[in-house]
Amino acid sequence: MLHSLSFEDIELGDELSEAHPDVSMAAVTKFCNAAKHSFERFTDHEAARAEGFPGAIVPGIMSQGLLAAMVHRWAPGCNIKIIDTVFRGSLLVDSEIVMTGAVTDTDEEHRRIELDLTIIAEDGRTGVIGTATVEFPE
Amino acid sequence: MGNSEAPVDLVAVRERWMGVEFDWASFDMHVEDMVAWANACGEQDPRFTDPSHADFQAHPGFTTHCMSGRVLPDDFPQIGGGFGIDGGKNVQVHAPIRAGDTLHATTTIADVFDKTGRSGTMIFIVQRMEFRNDDDELVSTVDWKMIKKA
Repeated sequence: MLHSLSFEDIELGDELSEAHPDVSMAAVTKFCNAAKHSFERFTDHEAARAEGFPGAIVPGIMSQGLLAAMVHRWAPGCNIKIIDTVFRGSLLVDSEIVMTGAVTDTDEEHRRIELDLTIIAEDGRTGVIGTATVEFPE
Repeated sequence: MGNSEAPVDLVAVRERWMGVEFDWASFDMHVEDMVAWANACGEQDPRFTDPSHADFQAHPGFTTHCMSGRVLPDDFPQIGGGFGIDGGKNVQVHAPIRAGDTLHATTTIADVFDKTGRSGTMIFIVQRMEFRNDDDELVSTVDWKMIKKA
């Protein structure tokens, strides 16, 4: 059962639990099929290397979706109003990546918060940075 | 034929193209696609994974995969080299997208600007897609930042 987290529970500086999403070839292929995003650079290591990547890469829109799911797990029932991600570097398929988040602002009047979001690649590089505006129901 | 090209006047490009609509397309929202997307993102909230949920809706970034095929207007000037790289996506969720909706998307150029850093000058072209449902309600806005080397 999902735990509940209300707006009143949240304070500036709160951190979301670190998440380690599945970016195996099977998981990425599943996403690409769902997104009808059929580029070999996402689903074939050799094809990606032929394009100059170190291996198959995680689609940027999947990394954004992984971050959105992390926010929903942290605060079930919340509504993401804006999610803005910057793709700074490649995240490799079949690697271990880490997602983090932190509360950077709260707006009591509108029951909204701002989050900073990050995905770190296995080699320590920052692959994705982003922000989200999240609204909490009464 | 030489390789040198006159530098592009980005201010003029911005004034000419910002806000210009250049593509229109419709997308049907199928329940199985919505569920598959949410599951593939590791979503656990039944609002996005369970079609029987009273508030079942598309995951926030679901519209980011709706591509009509036209990236830039036909007569948009050649800026920088190649197709460019995907610099990121900004998604605004205005209202829930429901299974069975048909979304009507309008694509515009939202901005053109440059930034200079250690690796030189990069040009950012922001393509905006606005999605409206059959009730003409704006449900989603997606800004896609395309980055090109100047």
